[in-house]
Amino acid sequence: MKNSFVELHARERALSLLDAKTAREIVGPLDNMISPHLEPQNIVPESDDGIVLMRGMINGNNVLVVSIEGKFQGGGIGEVSGAKIVAALEKVLEENKQGNTIYPIIVLDTGGVRLQEANYGLLSISEIQNVVIALKKYVPVIGLVPGRVGSFGGMSITASILSYLIATNKARIALNGPEVIEQEAGVREFDSSDKDLIWDTLGTKQRSKTGLVDEVVDDTVDSIKDAIVNEIKTKKDAHRTENVDFYLSLLNKLDLSKKLDIDSYNKLYQSVVATKHEVPAATAGNKEGTKSRGRLWFEKLTGIENATSSISTVLHAQKDGKEYIAIVPDSDNKFPRVREGEVGLQEGFAVASIVNKIVADDKDKTVKRPIVLVVDVPSQAYGYQEELIGIHVALGSSAAAYAKARQAGHPVIDFIPGDAVSGGFLAHGLQSNRMIALDDDSITIQAMSKASAARITQRTIAELEEATKHVPAMAYDVDNYEKLGALYKLVKGIGSWEATDENVVKIKQLINEAITSLDGDTTLHFRYQTPIAKASGRKATLAVRKLVDEEWSK
Amino acid sequence: MEKLHFNFDTKDAISKPVHVGVVASGDLEVIFRPTDKETEVNIVTGSDGFKEVWGNVLQRFFDRYPIQADIEINDFGSTPGVVNLRLTQALEELKDEK
Repeated sequence: MKNSFVELHARERALSLLDAKTAREIVGPLDNMISPHLEPQNIVPESDDGIVLMRGMINGNNVLVVSIEGKFQGGGIGEVSGAKIVAALEKVLEENKQGNTIYPIIVLDTGGVRLQEANYGLLSISEIQNVVIALKKYVPVIGLVPGRVGSFGGMSITASILSYLIATNKARIALNGPEVIEQEAGVREFDSSDKDLIWDTLGTKQRSKTGLVDEVVDDTVDSIKDAIVNEIKTKKDAHRTENVDFYLSLLNKLDLSKKLDIDSYNKLYQSVVATKHEVPAATAGNKEGTKSRGRLWFEKLTGIENATSSISTVLHAQKDGKEYIAIVPDSDNKFPRVREGEVGLQEGFAVASIVNKIVADDKDKTVKRPIVLVVDVPSQAYGYQEELIGIHVALGSSAAAYAKARQAGHPVIDFIPGDAVSGGFLAHGLQSNRMIALDDDSITIQAMSKASAARITQRTIAELEEATKHVPAMAYDVDNYEKLGALYKLVKGIGSWEATDENVVKIKQLINEAITSLDGDTTLHFRYQTPIAKASGRKATLAVRKLVDEEWSK
Repeated sequence: MEKLHFNFDTKDAISKPVHVGVVASGDLEVIFRPTDKETEVNIVTGSDGFKEVWGNVLQRFFDRYPIQADIEINDFGSTPGVVNLRLTQALEELKDEK
């Protein structure tokens, strides 16, 4: 194990990549930027919150290395750690805009959202994805997954968006960890004790065969540094989240009558020829669709009764100059893991296809069509074949499409009458710059179900519920979500199922107000600027952003 | 999780702040900061009920190296041997002329 990169801690990893005496850490362990949310839950914090930001040079090129410490709380992203990444990457973006080329390199060793700061993790990760999309116009954003932890959860969605992904054979990349799939879908779906199955499905070796990893390197500092230097020189871009037609073609050819084995999938992957896919607008049907809060409000807002679509779970339509998009359940869905309205493979790619088309259609228009997301997503799909094919890329495709639309000037507005959970919310909701939610007890906003979150964080459900009392980001209800400051409006007095004509008029008015309030804003900064965010919800985020700003060009 | 606090009457001033270690399973991070007040050690540990052991490990360390510092420790279940190792490593960093 000579000169292993994997065996190093995050800070040593960053230093090992940089030319001697060029490294300078931004917001380091002596700066007292510690997560305020861990100690109230009796969890020992770390002085850098598990994120190392290191400026420096690699072979004479200016870089920023973002190195995630996989050994601290599984490399999970919380408020402070997330804000460090976002603030530093936004600095890199500013520099590149001014013509000072700085290459961002992200060392992913992460389980995704830090479940102990759940909703902060989701917000932060969506903000990271947003800045990555913006950066890619200027420089490649280079990803490295060295392993032991690998890359999971929301940060795998981020990984799918990066320009170029380098990994060692000690890494695994997936959206849902095997334990969570087993918890949510049962041991027959994915046996989390079967280590061979896990590595054969999620390991770098398999991932590199099907376009989910771009380069496999040996676990030595030198070979990893060589790969990065080469990528800085060649600026390759995998365009991983732009293969929507390919994946929709692949899904059409999938035989869902039997369990997909790895060899068959690899052959299928090689044989698919991408054909143009377009998801036509929803039309009125004569059969009622599977009931959901999302479907109800989509139909009322667009005036389409019994809306049907060529992809039964993805509805979109234009009304009053706005494009409405909803992901809805279909109890007869041929994908069994998506029957409750989860966001699966088809949903992610179809939404991306719709949003990309809107952006293309409005390319030369000065006023861009507003996009309104009707959000009622109970989660992402938990399934074996979803992971084998790469559901993180599906979710990454729609998240990237929404981010690009917003950055191109489309108002992207959330209307949340239902659940907004985890990867589903990242793919369909969290790239919006104004969120309107109904104040209804039935709404869940979270990163993971209680059963799974308890299992992963090794607590009982009772302990978990106790923690939600002290840390609003851990809670599951919309009233606690409001305390984070991210909402544009929490609408009182309208229940999730109360889509009366009068209420629909009210919601449409609020959507219009939200669009007007944008006033040209294409960022996600609104979330930091609400009175609640400033007073408490994003206090730590704002402190981190201020310090990154001060230390950046010292 | 338990928070512990110790004071020591030590007088060898240190010249700069240093940080070593990671809050990984069985490991800890240690921060030394210069101070002109009494030496203080503030510990956050994931393993409850080891106050006496911490007291002994620290006493032994300060007997040998009577530095005057403001010390912060975040511990995730490390053994006394590992604690001593990290404290000594932090001392090494102090001597490092980087």
